[in-house]
Amino acid sequence: VTLSEGARAGIGRELGMLDSLLSLGGLVLLRDSVEWEGRSLLKALVKKSALCGEQVHILGCEVSEEEFREGFDSDINNRLVYHDFFRDPLNWSKTEEALPGGPLGALRAICKRTDPGPVTIALDSLSWLLLHLPCTTLCQALHAVSHQDACPGDSSPVGKVSVLGLLHEELHGPGPVGALSSLAQTEVTLGGTKGQASAHILCRRPRQRPTDQTQWFSILPDFSLDLQEGPSVESQPYSDPHIPPVDPTTHLTFNLHLSKKEREAKDSLILPFQFSSEKQQALLRPRPGQATSHIFYEPDAYDDLDQEDPDDDLDI
Amino acid sequence: MAAVATCGSGAGTTGSAVATASKSNVTSFQRRGPRASGTNDSGPRLVSIAGTRPSVRNGQLLVSTGLPALDQLLGGGLAIGTVLLIEEDKYNIYSPLLFKCFLAEGIVNGHTLLVASATEDPANILQELPAPLLDDNSKKEFDEDVYNHKTPESNIKMKIAWRYQLLPKMEIGPVSSRFGHYYDASKRIPQELIEASNWHGFFLPEKISSTLKVEPCSLTPGYIKLLQFIQNIIYEEGFDGSNPQKKQRNVLRIGIQNLGSPLWGDDICCAENGSNSHSLTKFLYVLRGLLRTSLSACIITMPTHLIQNKTIIARVTNLSDTVIGLESFIGSERETNPLYKDYHGLIHIRQIPRLNNLICDESDVKDLAFKLKRKLFTIEVDFIS
Repeated sequence: VTLSEGARAGIGRELGMLDSLLSLGGLVLLRDSVEWEGRSLLKALVKKSALCGEQVHILGCEVSEEEFREGFDSDINNRLVYHDFFRDPLNWSKTEEALPGGPLGALRAICKRTDPGPVTIALDSLSWLLLHLPCTTLCQALHAVSHQDACPGDSSPVGKVSVLGLLHEELHGPGPVGALSSLAQTEVTLGGTKGQASAHILCRRPRQRPTDQTQWFSILPDFSLDLQEGPSVESQPYSDPHIPPVDPTTHLTFNLHLSKKEREAKDSLILPFQFSSEKQQALLRPRPGQATSHIFYEPDAYDDLDQEDPDDDLDI
Repeated sequence: MAAVATCGSGAGTTGSAVATASKSNVTSFQRRGPRASGTNDSGPRLVSIAGTRPSVRNGQLLVSTGLPALDQLLGGGLAIGTVLLIEEDKYNIYSPLLFKCFLAEGIVNGHTLLVASATEDPANILQELPAPLLDDNSKKEFDEDVYNHKTPESNIKMKIAWRYQLLPKMEIGPVSSRFGHYYDASKRIPQELIEASNWHGFFLPEKISSTLKVEPCSLTPGYIKLLQFIQNIIYEEGFDGSNPQKKQRNVLRIGIQNLGSPLWGDDICCAENGSNSHSLTKFLYVLRGLLRTSLSACIITMPTHLIQNKTIIARVTNLSDTVIGLESFIGSERETNPLYKDYHGLIHIRQIPRLNNLICDESDVKDLAFKLKRKLFTIEVDFIS
């Protein structure tokens, strides 16, 4: 396989991001939309796994095998194991090549006879599977596949399984998309501005905070990834340099700022409810000239100055 | 004498009642208790099971949830025979911690555990339980940690509103060694404690062998299997009093993880009007019936943020006894809000049960936030909002 210099350098740079994508294992969800399609990214990731020497299985349901293999070198094409469900999804031709059980049966068969070594399974596409299978069955199958290395059934050490699923967000409601994204270890949402594609990558490691980053990229004709910087700064329309920040305290009739002396005086002020020893002494010390307290009383016209207790009249 | 004969149930009690009546002529009211009967049956004695205590408000038998702060909020603990439902946070980081503290509390107290999950093998869940802080030294560390956090800030800010610095951040009642322990989230529980405990696991992918066979039934097959499993354990180990327990009576702690997620075979997270939309509510109804007739308490975590139909959430809340919602700040705009910089999320107490009572045990504070420090999970009152 001959690679151009740029592509080789691109692979060198992309190892930082994609290594973490595929090395975690589990389900990697590629969410694309009509404006930003994800099949080219899927093929780029498939090519990268094939070049790393992993086993790569493709479940092709949405496009034909020729269309999927288009653009790959013959070496990579020989390494891919393709399961075709596009040509005959309901198995009407009844040939021996068709795997029993449909796509899910194929998934389980891949997991059962896996040799030790990492395996990458590419699902093209998860949307097709969601439309043809019940969502719960699909979720259970994906969970069983991606957590297979935790299963203690086989004595032979099973390699890590990565499942790349292409999901067209606009075809489904929030329910299935939410259910699949809660299952996924990594979620890559494709977007972009002005002709440059970006991938927003959300990594959920178990029992740790999810980390996310946005990576700008483009895909070269031979399906290698080229990482790029973001769009240029001057194209951002949000910042407006003509309006200076306004200070609201400039035209007030009162002063909101404290000088240093005023601040010191404020800090040293004893608040009325703070009890200090001077205050205690001041309260306890009797003030001169007030030995006793006087009550000054002016009787009203209606006041009864009778000294008897009115309760004496009660006959109990 | 005729009155004694008619109300005496066993031969032993009648004879001894007569004997005691002749001894003391003061009163004709005789106590029929363990002194009178010769059998080993417990009779009208206070049930004293390790790790439980009666509530001071309504006499219900309570177990600790594993977090003393949460116990305070729920009025002392979780009542036996009830369900604690935890609504998971969006990325499912903090609700497993509450789940594991509940199970770890069961191991420390010697209760029997039943762990059910469709996501992870229960044996792996048990390996990851947090270690209890049992020494006095660790408790001192915890106290110092709390006070170090409190005093520097309060000295600076509370000069005018000085009364507020006397208020504790959270009412931390006395933690006796028999009820409510603190757990260290950074350490694992010692292996010998797990091996000494009695636990049963239910891992759905192992119990459901073939997914192609779908029975036309109102409950999804996963739920039916789980209910049968729980019922078997309760019956065989005598938690409902059917088999008299030879040893000391014990409590069964049931933990069900991620109930309602698609991995259980339930499609309420996938579709708004699915075919089995009543499956989960029926499961909770039957589960509560099983719990009410046995000495067990259950914790369930549910991803309610994925449930599409909001009426199902309302029904699920009504069918559970205690409901707590966790809302973490990750990914929301509150993460960068300086008001919430000390905390990792909010706790919402959505429902507290009224058990043999006219009113429920609400605590006065409603704005609660939690934070997961390096070791401990603490719940504090959020004074700002």
